[in-house]
Amino acid sequence: MAASAGPRPGWSRRAQYGLFFGFVAAVAAIVIGFIMLVLSLVAPNSYSAVRGAALDVTAPLSSGLNDIATTVTGLASGAGDYCNAARQNGDLKRQRAALMRRMVEAKAVLLENEELKRVLALRERERTTVATGRIVGSSFESPRRFAVLSIGSNDGVAVGMPVRAADGLIGRVVETGHFASRVLLVTDRANIVPARLLRGGLTVIATGRGDGTIDVRPLEVGRNPFKRGDIIVTSGTGGLYPPLVPIAKIVRLDDDGAIALPLADPGRASFALVEPPFEPAALAEAARPAGER
Amino acid sequence: MVRSALSMGNRPLSRGARSGHEIVPALSVALASLLAVLPIVSAHGWWPNAGLLMLLAWRMLRADTWPAWVAAPLGLWNDLVTGSPLGLSVALWTAFMLAMDVIDRRTMWRDYWLEWILATLLLILAELAQWRVAALGGAPVRVASEWPSLLIAPLCFPIAAYLVRRIDRWRMGQ
Repeated sequence: MAASAGPRPGWSRRAQYGLFFGFVAAVAAIVIGFIMLVLSLVAPNSYSAVRGAALDVTAPLSSGLNDIATTVTGLASGAGDYCNAARQNGDLKRQRAALMRRMVEAKAVLLENEELKRVLALRERERTTVATGRIVGSSFESPRRFAVLSIGSNDGVAVGMPVRAADGLIGRVVETGHFASRVLLVTDRANIVPARLLRGGLTVIATGRGDGTIDVRPLEVGRNPFKRGDIIVTSGTGGLYPPLVPIAKIVRLDDDGAIALPLADPGRASFALVEPPFEPAALAEAARPAGER
Repeated sequence: MVRSALSMGNRPLSRGARSGHEIVPALSVALASLLAVLPIVSAHGWWPNAGLLMLLAWRMLRADTWPAWVAAPLGLWNDLVTGSPLGLSVALWTAFMLAMDVIDRRTMWRDYWLEWILATLLLILAELAQWRVAALGGAPVRVASEWPSLLIAPLCFPIAAYLVRRIDRWRMGQ
């Protein structure tokens, strides 16, 4: 097929002008787009109203579709569970007995912990939940790792609040609409979480890698302290994330750190809890763009 | 006899364009952008931008569907829906339209493979721009974890081209 010659106006003056002004409009659009892009990189908060409104419009769609998908997969997996119910039942009974023993141990430790704290007269900070929502979508088209949460500023969600699931940390809120908000996942490259190794309490830094895994480095350079299967929890440093929320499990060691898999899968978690920041002063800090910190 | 064989029964050769056929291409691109609201919670960002795929497929099929600046509002919509930095698709998509105008003047012929190669180049360019903007925005993702998206987008282009072909036939009443 011969190439289409593109818009060739011929001798018509009107068509020539039309083509020229179209070209000028396109160049102007490129320039405007570029300025908008620079602005959204330098001052990410400048479009928060527009982006929040867009979230409000699109998130209900995601939410509805998510409900349908959950029902369908629930039906499929429910039918699958019936097929080997007897074996599953036996397995679950064994697991339950094992967990029961662990729970009794944990309760004893908890009691001891409370007594020790009373001796030290430590004041326990009350942990509250701002709101509970569901993860209904994600940025599956971009190198950034964002998720869409089905609750927004009407439910009390604000930028900078940590989001967690029952299994562990999910991320923090970066944009809010009235009915939905956008969450920066712990696997995003820009999300840096001050953390600790659960075994031994060594301070580490957890940084997302953008591909569903987390890069963990010790704060002090030296011998690689990690072992496969180690659990990383938040340390509470910086005041944004509450302490002792599980983040990830180490799956591979490299020369001076390790690669970890997040414990909470935002795609599987049925609920996401939005909590107030551990230190309320950290909220103002988090609202400022990353470049100024 | 030849005439009756060519007459295709009672079906007319073309029913003529449907009403509102001018807005169908832009509408299909906007709807493709809207695929970003699908409840897919993925650990990777490997999926291509469906809006850009459709835009390129329309531009390859017909040079005269729209003026180049139409890519700007479509890009703005795409940025808002997908949550990428505002302005990225506006600048990039409009630049692609102008680039296609230049390419149209330079190429002597056009076939399936050449269109695929052109689309591949533009899609890779778009992924790299997205990657670079993410790095400027504070998330310098390693290239090694980005190559699947460079591969998946060009492989998805024939699907978009097929879809656009079908939509074009439908809107023109063929």
